[in-house]
Amino acid sequence: MQLGAVKSRPILWHMPVGLQVLWYALAGISVLVFAYGLAAPVMRYRSASRAGLPAARELPGRIWRATRTLYSHAAIGRRDRYAGWAHRGIFYGWVALAIGTVIVGLSHDIAQPLFGGGFYDGDFYLACKAVLNALGTALIAGLLAMMVRRAILRPAKLDYARPDRPPEQYERQAHAYRVGDWVFVGTLLTIALTGYVLEGVRIAMEHPGYDGFQFGGWLAAQLFEGAGQSTLAAWRHGLWWFHGLLAIVFVSSIPFTKAAHMLSSYASTILRDPLAGRRLRPIEPELALEPAGYGTLADFSLTHLLQLDACTKCGRCHEACPARATGRPLSPRDVILELREQHGCEGPVIGEDGVHADTIWSCMQCNACVQACPVGIEQAPIINQLRRRLVEEGEIDATLQATLQTIHKSGNSFGQRRRSRGKWAEELDFEVKDARKQPVDVLWFVGDYASFDPRSQRVTRALARVLHEAGVDFGILYDGERNAGNDVRRAGEEGLFEMLAEANVELLGGCDFQRIVTSDPHSLNTLRNEYPEYGGSWSVLHHTELLLELMQEGRLAAGEPLGYRVTYHDPCYLGRHNDGYEAPRRLLAMIGCELVEMPRNRENSFCCGAGGGQIWIAEQGGHERPSENRIREALELDGVELFVVSCPKDVTMYEDAIKTTGSGERLRLRELTELIDEALVREAIAV
Amino acid sequence: MKILVPVKVVASLDEDFALSDDATVPADAVEWQLNEWDTFSLEAALQLNEGEDGEVVAVTVGDEQAEQQLRSCLAKGADRAIRVWDDSLRGADALAIASVLAAVARAEQPELILCGVQSSDAVESATGVALAGLLDLAHVAVVTGIERAGERLTVQRELEGGVVELLGVSLPCLLTVQTGINEPRYASLRAIKQASAKPLDVSGLEQLGLDAASVGAHAGSRTLRLKEPAKGAGATMLDGGPPEIATRIAAIVRESMSA
Amino acid sequence: MSGVLVVAEARRGELRAVSLELIGAARALSEQGAGPVSVVLIGADAEALAPQVALAGVQDVLVVPAPQPQFEAHVTQAALEALVQRRSPSVVLAGHTIDSLGFAPALAARAGLGFASNVTGASWGEQGVLAQRGAYGEKLIAELDFPGKDTVVLLLRPGAFAPAEGVGGETGVERVELDLAGSARTEHLELRDPPTGDVDITKADFLVAIGRGVDDEGQIAELEQLADAMGATLCASRPLVDAGWISAARQVGQSGKTVTPKVYLALGISGAVQHLAGMAKAQTIIAVNSDHEAPIFGVAQYGAVADMFEVAAELERQFR
Repeated sequence: MQLGAVKSRPILWHMPVGLQVLWYALAGISVLVFAYGLAAPVMRYRSASRAGLPAARELPGRIWRATRTLYSHAAIGRRDRYAGWAHRGIFYGWVALAIGTVIVGLSHDIAQPLFGGGFYDGDFYLACKAVLNALGTALIAGLLAMMVRRAILRPAKLDYARPDRPPEQYERQAHAYRVGDWVFVGTLLTIALTGYVLEGVRIAMEHPGYDGFQFGGWLAAQLFEGAGQSTLAAWRHGLWWFHGLLAIVFVSSIPFTKAAHMLSSYASTILRDPLAGRRLRPIEPELALEPAGYGTLADFSLTHLLQLDACTKCGRCHEACPARATGRPLSPRDVILELREQHGCEGPVIGEDGVHADTIWSCMQCNACVQACPVGIEQAPIINQLRRRLVEEGEIDATLQATLQTIHKSGNSFGQRRRSRGKWAEELDFEVKDARKQPVDVLWFVGDYASFDPRSQRVTRALARVLHEAGVDFGILYDGERNAGNDVRRAGEEGLFEMLAEANVELLGGCDFQRIVTSDPHSLNTLRNEYPEYGGSWSVLHHTELLLELMQEGRLAAGEPLGYRVTYHDPCYLGRHNDGYEAPRRLLAMIGCELVEMPRNRENSFCCGAGGGQIWIAEQGGHERPSENRIREALELDGVELFVVSCPKDVTMYEDAIKTTGSGERLRLRELTELIDEALVREAIAV
Repeated sequence: MKILVPVKVVASLDEDFALSDDATVPADAVEWQLNEWDTFSLEAALQLNEGEDGEVVAVTVGDEQAEQQLRSCLAKGADRAIRVWDDSLRGADALAIASVLAAVARAEQPELILCGVQSSDAVESATGVALAGLLDLAHVAVVTGIERAGERLTVQRELEGGVVELLGVSLPCLLTVQTGINEPRYASLRAIKQASAKPLDVSGLEQLGLDAASVGAHAGSRTLRLKEPAKGAGATMLDGGPPEIATRIAAIVRESMSA
Repeated sequence: MSGVLVVAEARRGELRAVSLELIGAARALSEQGAGPVSVVLIGADAEALAPQVALAGVQDVLVVPAPQPQFEAHVTQAALEALVQRRSPSVVLAGHTIDSLGFAPALAARAGLGFASNVTGASWGEQGVLAQRGAYGEKLIAELDFPGKDTVVLLLRPGAFAPAEGVGGETGVERVELDLAGSARTEHLELRDPPTGDVDITKADFLVAIGRGVDDEGQIAELEQLADAMGATLCASRPLVDAGWISAARQVGQSGKTVTPKVYLALGISGAVQHLAGMAKAQTIIAVNSDHEAPIFGVAQYGAVADMFEVAAELERQFR
């Protein structure tokens, strides 16, 4: 039989009818097993809370965006280009071969019986061959690259070492993960290689003559050069069954192995919350009388349960986490995996055998993990839900507890009287308007640190002077303002947050203003992203945005370039949470500062260690403070004299870290406003 | 075990308050909070009853202001709360309060009463032991450790200079609890709201078989007047910013050490 | 009858210093017309201590033998109940001390006596005894009187009154036998001394003391460095010991050590009564606190309203 002329290949070559029936039966069983494996988690999800689930009408758009992200590999390639390219090869190879199989099935099992002739022939067949060979090669290359990475390159994020417990407590689990990883790539590689060899055998038997279109198979065929037809036929049958059975076993096992991420991660990406971490979710009204947060898996929302299953253990969050980097007992990856391992347990997920309480309290809610995750897992918000439960149960650090009580009592974290909130303004030589009593253009929400911390008060006064000189019509809320609640909420005290949010929204609602400005990124985030759910939607600016606007409009003018060589730290809640990367950098350029970026900048910025209520928690373990780690990073830069920040908590944390690292001689801290203040031309004002 | 925990809502005065013309404290200069010592006695009660049948009843003598603090006791795990008030009780001293609490205790018949050593505003350190006296209960003051074995408690009494006395006492009895004996739990705002479902009985004096005169007769003292401490009699204040202050302190230290 | 009855305090066979302050205060009241001063010693070894309280101005010393050597609150309470009934003194003075807090309020409540604790001033006049004490967390002073009370129990704050001196010639010692056999209601098990720890702060000439102003355990190391740099010993008020951030051996105050250094630099200590009890007799007290109303400024010779950490940082710079 000369097939070269018809340019196709036989399907189920020389297979007795009995075996054909067996093959279809096995394929059917495999589909059933797959469906069963899929049903179990789906049933679990169905009984979970639907909080955070997007509306059905959003689905088409979400599927489109998730699919685009998947095919572009933008998320997977971020922060790890090697893994990104390897995954591209595997992904496209796998998708192409799956499509190829479907084409064969359509042609042989549908078109042929129904219309009396398949379509898997001719030039179309050759084109398929060429594409599948190319992408099959990409698949093999990708798999080999991943194996090289695991076996030889061994990046730390893949060793499954956990910072929260000693190795003997997790080594078995880690071993199981490693075996699972290897079985996964090993199986895929075997399927791909046996496919080539099978093709090689066929080519060796039939010499179809279009080797260029199936170079992979042609290469394999060289192995069988000179073998007799009967040997080859035996090989062909044996390989066919091996390849085929492995493939259907693989398909049926997808829901039970690491391969499940093909489904769960994709689904998670579709349901991804674009505001994850920026806006935490309020407690559903129907759960108002239940204990807050997550205590057992039954409390988890559908999306969060799905996210536990979606984790691929890629380790990007493990790598990005500032708590992990400074030796605290937290890795967001391990939190997610630990929770996943709790499946089937009805007991509490927090405890010795689950997620440790000190792990939960180590988190700074900086959102680096959420930002780094390629599949939309909300590590920080999940940790926040666990905190809510701990807070409710009263398991909370003594200092944090005292601070929360103080905030409840006095509306600020400093335990100062409400009446002294506006005291910083007394030293100014002009009156700051009371926005509660008269209309203002810009309402300045000052925040606790900027109001009460003596070092930050200097910045606050500088900002007031600058705004005054630019002729901005602004006012503050004086003793009406309360802590915005960002850190209260992130510490897990949802009830107190609600109280603060409601009070501030009510007060702001009664004021007459156009926009809100704040120098505190934490307040900014909550006012901008969280107050809308409490009835307060306003245009909220960071002071760097307002200052940039004033400079661009010419209401502020910089004089001689300052000429400092500086580095700039992106605050988590301005940068990652609110994409405020540009305004500070452009301001620095406008006043003639030479910006030298730290290796970790913008969305990859490092945390100062204050967020999520950490600034109120007594010193955590770890080998260094995050702020010290960051200062050391800045000290590595050549000739940088100023460490510039734009957040009052950063002022506190880094002033401290500069002292404790003993680097006061080499590095000084400036809040950006202070530099603007220094750079301004002030003809009219006598200095 | 049924444990009665008398708590007090204490006044903390504004930093820069001034007495009003009639030498009283203006209402807006006061913030109310649960007495710190009582957070420890409540925690001790909750821990003693952990995993056991029993009841922790928080009781306070105070006006409506006290209700929120009482709710926080319920939120932390007290089973019931009682608030007793009569306008004649405003400004009552420890002995008068003890006579009201004694009436509550007679009605409740607790096996153990846990008080705080003192309140942070009045610092009388007397209510608990006076209450024990009125009830003729065995009592131990300034307790820093409690262990229970059946009807017998082994308690630590903290003496001056850090010396600790271990002693045994049998139920029923009254202990006044010192800070640091445990780590009081946190009452979240949601838990406080949810605690509104727990019983909080409000009672006047007559329900307890008391009247203003009988309570007044128990008072140990009468406040003639309040006055502000003489100003300037104390420290010479050092002015300036931290560097100037530090320079002055350094000089004073060197001079005093060489004297 | 009238007069002032002083309840002297002893522990481990030794008279406690507060007893002399009580006698001093009693003598002042007596001079103002309150009547003669009697001192009562209750305990198994009371007799041996009698000469130490037989000071000038003391009319008689009453020795009440008790069944057990250790102080027992209910025994003392029963003894005093009997004595008050027998002698009806105008004023009973005891210390605002841990022992007295265990019996005095019960004594007063049961017998319907006048009562004030934590007293920092007392005087005698036509209307009887008047007392002064702190109110609103020491931010105010309350003046008290005791209308309708024939006997008034006052607990005097240790350190607030000058101790009596001078041996008396005329003092009689009287042994008073009371039936106290069944009155003990607690069983003494043992006395435990505090861990001696690494330091003896009572021997230091220069103490840097820290208090509630410290809100983070991590800050302790910084302050230790400061104390090192200044050549001082670090000590603390109770909250930091309660928090477990600093060892009990370094605690100053009523439940800690009483110290009398040449210089006591108090950083972030507001000066609660219990703390003042342990350090008020330091020669020079310098206080830094962010609250200008902090009671510590009442006992300090020098004060500064400032952030303790800013001052600490400056100080460390100056002493390095």
